[in-house]
Amino acid sequence: MVSNAGSPTLHMKAEMAVALTGITKRFGAFVANDGIDLAVRRGEIHAIIGENGAGKTTLMNILFGLLQPDEGSIRLNGEETVVTGPAVAIKAGLGMVHQHFKLVPSLSVADNVFLGMEIRRHGLIDHAAQIARTRELSKRFGLQVDPTERVGLLSVGIEQRIEILKVLVRGARTIILDEPTAVLTPQESRELFQTLRSFVAEGMTVIFISHHLEEVMEVSDTVTVLRNGKKVATRPTAELSKDELVRMMVGREVSFDRRPRAPSRGEVVLQVEELWARDDRRLPALRNVSFTVRSGEVVGIAGVAGNGQTELAEVLSGLRPASHGIARLKGRNLAALSPREIRRAGLAHVPGDRMVRGVDRNASIAANMLMGRQHRAPWSSCGVLNWTVISQNASRLIKDFDIRAQGPGDAVKRLSGGNIQKVVLAREFTNDADFLLIDQPTRGVDIGAQEAIHDEIMRQRAAGRAILLISVQLDELAALADRILVMFNGRIMGEVAGDGADEDRIGMMMAGVAAPELAAEPA
Amino acid sequence: MEILDKLVNVALIAATLRTTAPILLVALGGSFTTKAGIFNIGLEGQMLAGAFFAVIGSIWTGSALLGVACGVAAALAFALVFAVLVVSFRANEVVVGLALNILAGGMTISLMKAIFGTRGSIVGHGIVGLPKVQLPGARELLGSWAPLISGFTPIVYVAFIAVPLLVLFYNRTRLGLYIRVVGEKPEAAEALGISITRVRYIASLLCGLLAGLAGAHLSLGYITMFTENMSSGRGFMAVAILIFSNGDPLKVLAGCLLFGFADAFSLRLQTFGYPSYLVLTVPYVVALTALFALSYRARPKIIAETLASMQRLLSTDKNTGPDGKHPS
Repeated sequence: MVSNAGSPTLHMKAEMAVALTGITKRFGAFVANDGIDLAVRRGEIHAIIGENGAGKTTLMNILFGLLQPDEGSIRLNGEETVVTGPAVAIKAGLGMVHQHFKLVPSLSVADNVFLGMEIRRHGLIDHAAQIARTRELSKRFGLQVDPTERVGLLSVGIEQRIEILKVLVRGARTIILDEPTAVLTPQESRELFQTLRSFVAEGMTVIFISHHLEEVMEVSDTVTVLRNGKKVATRPTAELSKDELVRMMVGREVSFDRRPRAPSRGEVVLQVEELWARDDRRLPALRNVSFTVRSGEVVGIAGVAGNGQTELAEVLSGLRPASHGIARLKGRNLAALSPREIRRAGLAHVPGDRMVRGVDRNASIAANMLMGRQHRAPWSSCGVLNWTVISQNASRLIKDFDIRAQGPGDAVKRLSGGNIQKVVLAREFTNDADFLLIDQPTRGVDIGAQEAIHDEIMRQRAAGRAILLISVQLDELAALADRILVMFNGRIMGEVAGDGADEDRIGMMMAGVAAPELAAEPA
Repeated sequence: MEILDKLVNVALIAATLRTTAPILLVALGGSFTTKAGIFNIGLEGQMLAGAFFAVIGSIWTGSALLGVACGVAAALAFALVFAVLVVSFRANEVVVGLALNILAGGMTISLMKAIFGTRGSIVGHGIVGLPKVQLPGARELLGSWAPLISGFTPIVYVAFIAVPLLVLFYNRTRLGLYIRVVGEKPEAAEALGISITRVRYIASLLCGLLAGLAGAHLSLGYITMFTENMSSGRGFMAVAILIFSNGDPLKVLAGCLLFGFADAFSLRLQTFGYPSYLVLTVPYVVALTALFALSYRARPKIIAETLASMQRLLSTDKNTGPDGKHPS
C-alpha cells in the first residue's frame, strides 16, 4: 500500500542530515541529556548553544558514536542508524573536530591530515600526492596552511584548520565542531566562519557548539538552546534577538526564593579600581573593571560564561597578573602579594572549576581540608604533619557541613559533585578570611546540596564576611546577592539591586546592551 | 708524522667499520623501541643472549648461518618477554630491562658451565665463524683502498645497509609512520584506531632481531668464541647514543661511527705498548665526551624536563601520602 501521503514525509526526512529523537544519557544519578530531539537540515549551519554543563558536548559525542545513549534513536541522512562507534559515524559522512586536537608535532601537515589513510604507491607513502591533495582542499575551502610544514611549529588556529582538513579528507558531509572558537583569536574566528559558510555553499552541513552569543547570531542559520540537559527550543536565528537567546540559555523561572536578610553594610574590604587583564591568548579579558565589596554584603557577578568572570577570579586570587589597575584587599595591593600571602591577607577562594583548582581528587577528604594550612599549627609542628589533629578537624567539618562520606580517610573522587563542593566550602569558610571569592558554587550540584550551600553562604554574610559571588545562574544571584554587577566582554555593563532584580534588564546587559541606554528608557 | 701514518691508515678505517657494526646494529634495533616510545635498557642482555646462542647454534649445526639464526631467535625470545612485561603488563621498562640484562649475564655463565663445564670462555668445540665476503672487482677498482668495502662478514654489510633502509622505513612506510606516532602522540594513534599495543610489540621484536644479529656478529664475526659478558657495555653505549639521537638512523650512525673509531683506535694503541686497561677506556671516554658536548647546548631543556618529571614524582607522593601509603 504505497500511498501518496508516504512519499512527502520520506522526502522530508531525507532533507534532514541528522535527526535525533528522545536522546537520554545518564551518568549515575546525573542526567546529562534528557529526552533531547534535534533535527539538522542539510545545508545549514546549526548552532547548539548552552552554558557549561548544559549537555552540548555529551549530545554531540552520542551523535558521533563516542557515547551510547540510554534511550532514543538517531537518523543519519534519513536512515535509522545505531552509531556504535566513530567508524560508523564517519562512514555515514559525519566528521567531528574536537576541542582538544590530536596532532603529531614532528610530522608535516599533510602527513597529519592523511594519518591512518595514507596515499601509497608501490607500498610506500606517496608524500607528493598527499601534499598536492592537502593543498587542493585547503585552497577550495580557504583553509590556509602549508602542507609541508611541521605541525609542532604552528599556532593553535592553524592546528584547528588541520583538524578540519582531516575531517574533510575522510569525506565528511556533516561537520561537527565542539567550541571551535574557544582557542581562536577574533581574526581567526572570522576566518573560520568564512570557511564554514563555504562548506554550506557546497551543500555540506555544519553543527557547531558554542556558548558565545555573538558568534551564534553572526554565523548560524538555526539555533538549538540546551539548558540543564534539556532542549529549550530550536529556532531560526533570524527570528531571535540576543536577549531572547540569553533568556533561553539562563532560564527565566526563578526557582529560588530570595533569602531573608538583615541589612548590613560594613567597611570596604575589597576595592577594585580600573582593572585590566589579559586571557591565555593574550587578548583583553578584563576592561576597566571597578567595584567594591563591603563586609556583610554579597556582591553578585552575572554574565554569560566566558565574559571575563574567570579572569577576574584569577586576578583576585593572585593566579593571573593584572595588566593595569589595582585591586586592594583590606588596603593591601594584591599585585605585590603571592597567592599564599593573599590568602593570609584574608582571602578564601572557592574556585569555579573545583576538580582542577578546588580539590585533589585522588587525595582523602582530610588531606583536602588541610590544604593551605599544612604549614601552620596546630595542623603541623616543626614541619611534621599532625594527622590526629587533621583527622579530628576533618571529622568535625564533615559533620558541620553535612558531607555525605564514610569518614575523613575517604578519597574525594568517590564523593558526588555536591559533596565535593562542600569539602571545598568547609575548607575555605573555616579560614577566618574576611573576603570570600565564590565562583560557581552550585555548578553540577544537586538541588538538596544547592540549598545547603546557599544556607552556608548566607551564614557567612551574617558573620560579617565580604562576599563576591560569581555565577552564571541568575536565579542563584537573585536569591543571594545584595547587588548584582553584570559583565559582558570584560566590562561591567551595570549594576542592579538584588532585591527585586529585573531579569529583563539583566538579560539585556548580559547580551551587551549598555546600562545608560537602558536607563534612558522609562523604568 | 710517521707515527700518525702508522696510526691512521686504510686498515684503521676498515677496523672502524668492523667495530662499528655490532653497536650500530644494536642501536638501530633500539631505534625501533625509542621511536615507539619505549625506553629499552635491555639491549645489552638481548645482544649477549644473541652472542651466546649463536655460538651454541654454530657448534650444534656446524653452520655459521644457522648459528646466527639461533642467536637471533634467542634475542627475539628476550625481546618478547620484554614486550609482554612492558607493553601488556605495563611494568616499569627500566626495571624489566635491567632484570633481563642480569638474567642474560647469569644464564650464559651457568649454561656455559652446564654444557661445556668451563668458566670464562668457549673456544674451539668446532665453532664455525662467518665467512668474509670478497666483493668481486674491488681490488681491481680500488687497489689498496679495497679493504674499505670488501672483505667484511655479511653482518657488517647488513648493519650499514640498514641505515638508509631505516630512513626509508620511518619516512615512507605506514608501519614506520605508525611507530613514530605511537611514540610521540599515543592519543593521536588511539583516535585513529592504530593499536598501540600491536605497534609496540612489533617495534620490540624488530629490536630483538637486530640486537640478535649484533650479538652473533660479536661471537661469530672476527673472533669465533664466546666470553663472559662479551657485549661489554655496547648495549648501554647504544642506549646512550639513542637518547642523544632520539633514534634517528643517521644520527645513530654518526654516534656509532665515533664509538667504533675510538674502539679501533684503542686496539691500535695497544700494539704500541700502552697499558691495556687504560687503552680500553678510550672508546667510552671519547663517546661520552662527545655526547656530553653534543648535549651541552640542549642542557636547559634536559634540566627543565628533569625538573618537570621530579615535580610529577613529588605530586604523586603527595597524593598517596595522606591515604596512608608511604611515599617511597
